[in-house]
Amino acid sequence: MEYDVLIIGAGPAGYVAAIRAGQVGLKVAVIEKMYVGGMCLNWGCIPTKALLESAKNFKKIKQFEEFGIDGIDADKLSFNWNKAKARSSKITDKLTSGVRYLLKKNGVEIITGTARIAADKSVYVDDQKISAKNVIIATGSKPKVMDESLKNAPIVEIENLFSLESIPENIVVTGNHVSTAEIAQFFRLIDKNVTMVANSAYFMVGLDEHLITYITKKLKSENVDLIINDTPGKFENGELIIADRRIKCDLIVNCNSRKAILPESETPLELTERGFIKTSDNFETNIKGVYAIGDVAGKSFVAHVASAQGIHVINTIKGIESTFDGQIYPINMYTVPEIAQVGMTEQEVKATGLEYKVSEFPLSANGKAMIEGNTEGYIRMLSDIKYGQVLGVQIIAANATDMIAEAAVLMATEGTIYDVAQTIHAHPTVSEIYMEVGFEAIDKAIHK
Amino acid sequence: MRYIFNFPDIGEGLEEGTILEWYVTKGQTVKAGQALCNMETDKVVTDIPSPKTGTIVATFGKVGEIALVGKPLVEIEIEGVFGAEAVAVAKEEVKAPLTEPIDEGGAGVVGTMELAGSNAILAASDEGADKKEVEAKPVKKALATPLARAMARDLNIDINQIKGSGPSGRVTKEDIQNYKPAKTTGSGVQHESYKQPANADAVTYEPLTQIRKAIAKNMINSKQSAAHMTLFEEVEISELMRIRDRYKKSYADKNSKLTYLPFIVKATVNALKKHRQLNSQLDMENDRMIFKNYYNIAIAVDTPEGLVVPVIRDADKLSLFEIAQKISELSDKARDRKLTIEDMKDGTFTLTNYGSIGGIFATPVINYPQAGILGIGRLLKKPIVKEDQIIVGNVLSLSLAVDHRIVDGGEASRFINSIMEYLSDPVLMMME
Repeated sequence: MEYDVLIIGAGPAGYVAAIRAGQVGLKVAVIEKMYVGGMCLNWGCIPTKALLESAKNFKKIKQFEEFGIDGIDADKLSFNWNKAKARSSKITDKLTSGVRYLLKKNGVEIITGTARIAADKSVYVDDQKISAKNVIIATGSKPKVMDESLKNAPIVEIENLFSLESIPENIVVTGNHVSTAEIAQFFRLIDKNVTMVANSAYFMVGLDEHLITYITKKLKSENVDLIINDTPGKFENGELIIADRRIKCDLIVNCNSRKAILPESETPLELTERGFIKTSDNFETNIKGVYAIGDVAGKSFVAHVASAQGIHVINTIKGIESTFDGQIYPINMYTVPEIAQVGMTEQEVKATGLEYKVSEFPLSANGKAMIEGNTEGYIRMLSDIKYGQVLGVQIIAANATDMIAEAAVLMATEGTIYDVAQTIHAHPTVSEIYMEVGFEAIDKAIHK
Repeated sequence: MRYIFNFPDIGEGLEEGTILEWYVTKGQTVKAGQALCNMETDKVVTDIPSPKTGTIVATFGKVGEIALVGKPLVEIEIEGVFGAEAVAVAKEEVKAPLTEPIDEGGAGVVGTMELAGSNAILAASDEGADKKEVEAKPVKKALATPLARAMARDLNIDINQIKGSGPSGRVTKEDIQNYKPAKTTGSGVQHESYKQPANADAVTYEPLTQIRKAIAKNMINSKQSAAHMTLFEEVEISELMRIRDRYKKSYADKNSKLTYLPFIVKATVNALKKHRQLNSQLDMENDRMIFKNYYNIAIAVDTPEGLVVPVIRDADKLSLFEIAQKISELSDKARDRKLTIEDMKDGTFTLTNYGSIGGIFATPVINYPQAGILGIGRLLKKPIVKEDQIIVGNVLSLSLAVDHRIVDGGEASRFINSIMEYLSDPVLMMME
């Protein structure tokens, strides 16, 4: 039996592609080794954000007196790791079974096992040969393993974080990325001693420098020990040695840069310099009819882009007219407050040579933000001078990760500052800061 | 049915006007052709007639406000038109715009108003390009991103002509950037964009006035549509000078100024009567010539805002005194920007008197779709040969530009000879 599409990996790239394939009438199967939903649903996006939510509430409840709620004794509060974990698992279970249901509903067959791509484009799953007209590799990525010199250190990979029974006091989080900062802040919110080690100068690559400066200051102000551009040398006597510093360390969480999880292939797959699968604009690999999407293709490392790539590839296979820009997508940080960005950074705008304008509006001037007690943050909008096209938006706000969607729509439809300013925003809402920053970009914000 | 009347382009490419007075109010009944309001543009002050008979449901804009061409001016309830009939009326509006001259003056010359439906495009003159525009099928409003719209406006691109590549055919920035307009009769000219000089003070930028835009459009249209040919002549007018000197005072007593121009108008009209090719128009669309049996002489007037060309209507029926009166009246109105559409439309031949400022010969640009234009140079004392003697002559230089598609060289020469004959022998001119 031949499939129209065989998808390797059931993460947000693979399972979304599979559902789409089923929807457009393609005969499709998805091969998954272990976890339907992939990293995103099982130990990435969803569970970590669920944990963060518990930690955020742990912090917030200490401020409830301010809201007129008596009887909360801060000294009696403690963070119950296992209960938080259980809540997170419940959400994960619900969502993964939801994905299984959707796959089934759309006629997608789930094959459990490890895939190996044969020379004739068929795929072996544990010695069973399955043939297909098209193969989509969506195997994802994982953090680079820690150096050999740290072999004796108490390292935990992010996927194993949830199997820890308890959390020790002194935590070291390694990595350069947005999610590294989230994890670091999570441990700090539950009152652990946290050191964040970014092992290169490429700290938070992709974020606007303005936001990087903000998050750096923020972490430092919360007493996260931030070490940038240094690598842990070795681990001895419960201490991590970094340059001339010895840091108390009971646990190292590996949030390092990601590496592709490459499937075995009889015809060698062409790779990029960084070891990801090289693909065309339409995500086809060097083997005709074999595509690669999501982290394994190395074009982006966020779930939402991976899913969009999956839909695009299925459309392409089915012959449905489809374009994939992939330039405009939000980058979210689930910190306190949240940080979100879409479109170009100021550094990227500068590089284009466009004449541009930066407009800002602070949350401290927004009524709803005051009501919620979340006045830290602001919106920042980059727009071109000639036509007022919105080129980039950055938000620091309690719910910035949801708010950024408005900017994404605005930019995907090539909106201008006039469109955002002239759109009536409900009052009181935090979203009013969009309207204000729009007016600010045209001339002057109303409430500033 | 309800009919929305959009402010039409009342000629020469103007884009807006100021409402000076409303003649109608809500609830009032109006007849087709009845004036709705008085509108001032950069060039003229004019009444805007109603295209339909009915009851005014709404007027848009207050006195003193700017009305934009193509935007609603009034809404009229047309009685007794319902359902399918209403749809048919609406369709007819779009397909075949009604042509209603403001009065029964000549068909399709400067100022004729074509009162169209929702896509009202009113030609300044009935040149081919504009006609096509009127007849073109209305295009559905393009789905486009805000940025694409801003760019199209800025680059003067009709966004409705662009095939969009975005979702559901949305026109995007890229589509605008990739758009190459098809060559049109209007302007196939390659425009070289202006490069900003290093020193910012080296130039001063000023937005184009409506009148300058209109002049630019009309000039280029004439040059691209007509086959210009110019011939030059000199005429000795001592006799005319004597007559003028003799009657100057009596004109002054009647509060009028006798210049040479009224004589030249008279001479031109007389010559046009003999040479009808010069008082005609080519109608390529219908494979025919249009010879005009009326003589409306347009006179170019220099104003601070730019050139305007008001018309001495039925000049053949006016006395020399009346022509002189009309010239000063039109010149005053032009300088005060009080000219109306009536004053500007239906010219059949144009005179341009640059000699009053300076200059001997010129190659004037025809006031298209007319067939010719006569340029009058400076009156100079010059040695001339008369009966084999060199004497001092009073010489007026003339430059006649004709549309060579209509007027052959011989006919152009005969025409200018005729004018010269009248100018050198003014009595003959008066006798005819």
